[in-house]
Formats: sequence, structure tokens, C-alpha cells
Amino acid sequence: MENLGIDGKLLLAQMINFVLFFILVKQFIVKPFTSFLNQERKNEEEKNRMLEKLKRSEEAGIEAEVKMKEKMKKEFDVLFVQAKKEAQGMKADLIKQAEADALEIKAKNSKLLEEEKNLLYREVKDKIIKTSLMIVENTLKDSLDESSRKKVTGAIIKNYQGRLKIYEN
Amino acid sequence: MKINPKLKQDLKSFLMEKIQKEQNRVLVLSADKLDIDERKLLEKKFSDLNWKDSVYQIDKSVIAGIIIKVGSKTIDLSLTGSLSKLSNTLYEID
Repeated sequence: MENLGIDGKLLLAQMINFVLFFILVKQFIVKPFTSFLNQERKNEEEKNRMLEKLKRSEEAGIEAEVKMKEKMKKEFDVLFVQAKKEAQGMKADLIKQAEADALEIKAKNSKLLEEEKNLLYREVKDKIIKTSLMIVENTLKDSLDESSRKKVTGAIIKNYQGRLKIYEN
Repeated sequence: MKINPKLKQDLKSFLMEKIQKEQNRVLVLSADKLDIDERKLLEKKFSDLNWKDSVYQIDKSVIAGIIIKVGSKTIDLSLTGSLSKLSNTLYEID
């Protein structure tokens, strides 16, 4: 080994040095560093897990929201159909009621019109009769002189057959 | 105040008699005065009436003819009555 230029002592010392260096490095640098790296990896994994969990939770939330929306839509559709049916029923009822009211008003108006017509007819008839009788009465009063009146009276008494109505006061 | 029962009875009888007389009294209304012949004819035609206390009055509203009133009964033979009957008939026609 001396021929090869290798110093055994130095080599041993260097070997011991290396071993010591290796032990020290391993003990004080590699171990904490490895531990730190492991911790970091664990933290990273935990973080990823949490993210995954959060993502899943978010997806579940979205899915639930979608489901809720669908359910609400279905319920809304059912309610809408029901409300539509009820509205149509109400509309039909209102139309029926309005038609009945219109018929009633029409009948009432017809009755009123008929009554007014009859009233007017009676009034006109009354006026015509009264006016006619007044004209006849005045004409008789003006045209009949004493002798004519006597003649009429005589004729009435002469022609009386006893068939006249007797009025009780 | 007490009323003598005899006086009360007499008054009642007097009033009853008067009412009876009034009820049987014949009242004839005409536009002009009726002559004797007409009155006789009238009494003959209505012989069932008591003409003893009959009263003849002139009423121009009769126009012509006569109206006989006996108590609450009326026999209308006047032109006014005929017109009134005609008026009632016209009212009855629709």
C-alpha cells in the first residue's frame, strides 16, 4: 500500500473521519431534514385530503342544490297545474255567475220596462178617457138647451124598464 | 150628570123615527124642474118607493135625466151616470 502511495493511518483516519462525518450528518442533518420532509409530505397529503373532502362536500352541496331545485320545480309544476285548474274552475264559476247575473238584470229590466210600458199605457188611457168624457160632457152641457134636456129626461123616464142597477152608498 | 131614562127613551125613539123617515124619503135630482106628468110617470115606474115625503131638487151636474136617492140607495138615470158607466167600461177594456 505504501508503494501505491496510500498512507494506511491517514486512510484510517479519513475513514474514521468519514464514519464520524456520516454519523453526525445522519444524526443531525439527514434525520431532521427527513423528518421535516415527512412532515411536509404528511401536511401536503392532509391538505390534499382536506381539499378532496371539501371538493366532495361542495359537489354534494351542488348535487343537493340541483336535487332541491328539481324537487322545487316538480312541486312548483304540481302547484302550478293545481292552481291553473282552480283558476279555470273559478273562471268558469265567475262566468256562470256573471251570466246568471246578466240574465237576472235582463229579466229585471224587461219587467221594469213592461211595468213602465203598462204604467204609461194606463196613464195615456186615463188621460184619453178623462179628456174624451170632459169633451162629451161639456159638449152636452153646451149643446143641450132646456127643452132638449127635458126631452131626454122624459125619454129616459118613459123608456125605463126597471133593469137598472141600484147603488148602495 | 144623570139623564132621565124616560127622556132618554123618548129622544131615542124620536131619533129612530127621524132616521127611518130619512131612510125612506125619496130624493129626485134633475137638471130641470120635472112637470106633473113626469112626476106621475116616475111614481108609477117606481111604485115600490114611498113617494109621500119625496123631494125634488135641481142639480145642473146631472146634465139630463134623473138621479133617485132613497136612504143609502141610488138609482142613476142621468147622462152623467151614463158617462160615468161608459168611463168605467172604457177603463175595464184592455
